[in-house]
Amino acid sequence: MSRPPMNPLSQSSLLPNPLLEQFLSESHDLIEATGKKLMQLEDAPSDQGILNELFRCVHTLKGNSGLFTFPEMTRVLHAGEDLLGLVRSGHAIYSRELADRLLDAMDYVGLLLGEIETTGQIDASRALESQHQAEALRRLMPSALPDEDKAAAANDDTLMTTIPRASLVDDSVTGLPHFSSIPEAARRSILEQDEHGDQLHWIAYRPQRECFFHGDDPLNSARQTPGLMWGRVLATAPLPSLAELDTYSCMLGFDLLTNAPREELDQYYRYLPDQVEITAIPPSWFAKGQDGEKVPGEASPAANPARSRSEDEEAAFSKILSAQREILLLDDRLPWHAGRLKAVAVVLANLSQGDGEESSQTDIQAALADALSTGHNTLLLAWLDACLAAYKAVGPEANLSRTSGRNDKAVTARSAASGDTGPAIENEPGKVPSDEGIKFGRRAEDSNGGPRSLKVDQAKIDRLMNLIGELVVSKNALPYLAERAESQFGVRELSREIKGQYSIINRIADEMQDAIMQVRMMAVSFVFQRFPRLVRDISRKLGKEVQLVLEGEHTEADKNIIESLADPLIHIVRNSLDHGLETPEVRLAAGKPAIGKLTIRAAQEADRVVIEIVDDGKGIDPAIIKQKAYEKGIIDEATLERIGDQEAINLIFAAGLSTAAVISDLSGRGVGMDVVRSAVEKINGAVVIESELGKGTSIRISLPLSMAVTQVMVIESDGQLFGVPMDHVVETVRVPRSSIHAFKQSQTAVLRGRIVPLKALNTLLGIAAIPQANSDDELAVLLVQAGNTELGLLVDGFQETMGVIQKPFNGFLSGLSAYSGSALMGDGSVLMILNIREII
Amino acid sequence: MPIEFKKNRAIFRDEVSVEEAEGLLEWLQTRPTARADLSACNHMHTANLQVLMTAKAGISSWPKNAELRAWLEPALKPGE
Repeated sequence: MSRPPMNPLSQSSLLPNPLLEQFLSESHDLIEATGKKLMQLEDAPSDQGILNELFRCVHTLKGNSGLFTFPEMTRVLHAGEDLLGLVRSGHAIYSRELADRLLDAMDYVGLLLGEIETTGQIDASRALESQHQAEALRRLMPSALPDEDKAAAANDDTLMTTIPRASLVDDSVTGLPHFSSIPEAARRSILEQDEHGDQLHWIAYRPQRECFFHGDDPLNSARQTPGLMWGRVLATAPLPSLAELDTYSCMLGFDLLTNAPREELDQYYRYLPDQVEITAIPPSWFAKGQDGEKVPGEASPAANPARSRSEDEEAAFSKILSAQREILLLDDRLPWHAGRLKAVAVVLANLSQGDGEESSQTDIQAALADALSTGHNTLLLAWLDACLAAYKAVGPEANLSRTSGRNDKAVTARSAASGDTGPAIENEPGKVPSDEGIKFGRRAEDSNGGPRSLKVDQAKIDRLMNLIGELVVSKNALPYLAERAESQFGVRELSREIKGQYSIINRIADEMQDAIMQVRMMAVSFVFQRFPRLVRDISRKLGKEVQLVLEGEHTEADKNIIESLADPLIHIVRNSLDHGLETPEVRLAAGKPAIGKLTIRAAQEADRVVIEIVDDGKGIDPAIIKQKAYEKGIIDEATLERIGDQEAINLIFAAGLSTAAVISDLSGRGVGMDVVRSAVEKINGAVVIESELGKGTSIRISLPLSMAVTQVMVIESDGQLFGVPMDHVVETVRVPRSSIHAFKQSQTAVLRGRIVPLKALNTLLGIAAIPQANSDDELAVLLVQAGNTELGLLVDGFQETMGVIQKPFNGFLSGLSAYSGSALMGDGSVLMILNIREII
Repeated sequence: MPIEFKKNRAIFRDEVSVEEAEGLLEWLQTRPTARADLSACNHMHTANLQVLMTAKAGISSWPKNAELRAWLEPALKPGE
């Protein structure tokens, strides 16, 4: 059987839509802003300004969502907007619970946005959830005010009286209106259409009273219901007199019977889940029809052996036969026509069986077979006509006209639903934008002037970044060319000109690189903005009072750095809240203010970003850490005796150490600070912890501003060039061979009053060559530092420092831990970048 | 004009929108015996149907659109 086409409200075709993309990105911002405002409001519940902004955010979100067909989202936002509107006007009180609800709702909207992003639409099954969200919000509204739910509830009450409310779960037929309450002709047509035994659904559609104001046309919605087999209009309340009628208050309801699948119905009615009740019809429901009047297929009341029929029976017989005739005369091009024919044949067979005319059974079967094969029902019709003539019907025409009329209608109602969608639909999608367009226009006043920024896909910036990298490299080839022009071809003039051009290109390239870096820069507030919510939720859960102080939110760093910072930071903050800060009672007992203070501070220091997380909690007890580490086998007994407090505290970065006695869902699983450290080190950062028992803990993360361009110092050893990241270079010195002290295999030198171990780079890399001294018999020493270790590398010579774009090794080479990657030099040669941490 | 008001007859044409309902109500309030001609009507907004039902207005001819007729006839037929 052909299903009706997807309902016209489906928006899947909207996906590659710039408007939708903009909506998604804007909505994310708005949701974040909403969360932030809610936090602020928590500190200053009476601040009307914040409240206004908050209201505007939600209002804009709602308005925008209405542009698309995301009723689930709009519904929740609408409830939120209403609630905030009441708070704003002083009719509702801002409370923590209210904030919780709104935050929940915003999270839910965020979830829906995510779903739209990935699948392009919201699953129709969300309708119920969104209704719950909206109801939860509306419950917070003061009851004195007329709210929509109340009206809806009142509406529900009235329908209780007309039709018993059907249960969605209970599969029993008790809740359903009696099958026989459907007019007979409609029943017949339903049974006929249900030839395939599809799951039918009964829909009790009770529009809200004020639905006209929402632009709903319930009759239209009912008419377009997918798979519609039958439907009726009924008054949900006694209709008033004409004089008292309120035209704009809907008092009509609809009962619908459809064979569309449940999902399709949910999808179709997703705007009004609270106004429809969809009940699956169990097969037993039809059986009820038997108690009532005659139903085709079950038809014959004439299981009457006596063969003598009363006048009533005669009338019924002729009625049935006439109806069958009508059916046969119906449009025979429809796909379910065969089923229809079979149904007629069954009815006729039953009739004749009841009549005892066994012989006619075969006639009917033959006629049916003929009709099915040829597509013409002439034989059946002829048989039927003969029968009709035989029964001198008692005024059949009188009865017939009505029966057939209805029958006809019910069938066409269905064919209309399945086929042409009719002109009435056209205004449905059009209605939404025109209605919401006004709201969208209003947004211009709502927002305080558009942001003067562009949203650009990161891939585009990355491409720019790669291009500028290549430009820098190829630009570096020019000096070599100039060199060659002079030395190889002896044209000094040209060489000078090339150099001149090079300096210009060089300047532009540098500026361009800088500009692109700027584009990639992001403020740390991107990461920080989630902390107020995080801290609030966690501290609430733990029963702690925490004041969060954010400083230096505008400090900028490369996007990749900022993004990779998020997880370690969240971890540290959780740790601080869980282990560091105490509950108010404990704090008071220790003579500290009841409210703990957690400071997250960002600042730029030279070419690094430094982020500090400071709490004034109980601090870390080195003794406990030592003991734990010993118990877990992280340190041995000797170390346990030997290590100092600071070293002990640093042990929290060791894998597998957890100090919390009880494992909570926040922290304490022993995967923690080691993960933080490795995440930070992955982006060339460093993390340092300081803690004073009873006073608090401070964790300091230092990160490079950008990862894109690495400054390296080029050194020479055994005729090869190597790059050493400048982060590791402490200084370069030339040490006379006479000042180097050899002690067994080790060499040391005294530099600036300190003893520094020396190692030859050649030895470390397994190159069989000794370091070359210069003409004054001095050795080149590159003093490097990694972590807390300092070492002098003996090399052959130093060259310039340069910015390179480091490419990590791929494939087989990625196993080489002595190098962190390679870079292209201006002359096209490859420079290997040493991984100092690994080789020393 | 989707509803054309004659002396004692309202002729519905095409699609009758919600805006017509108020006018229809006022018109019917003053004409208890008025009848509606729906033959050319393809759809009427629920509000209009509601007015017709409340007024128990007589229908001089049913919609040619059989599907719409199936909806309206049981609701508007006297005694149904």
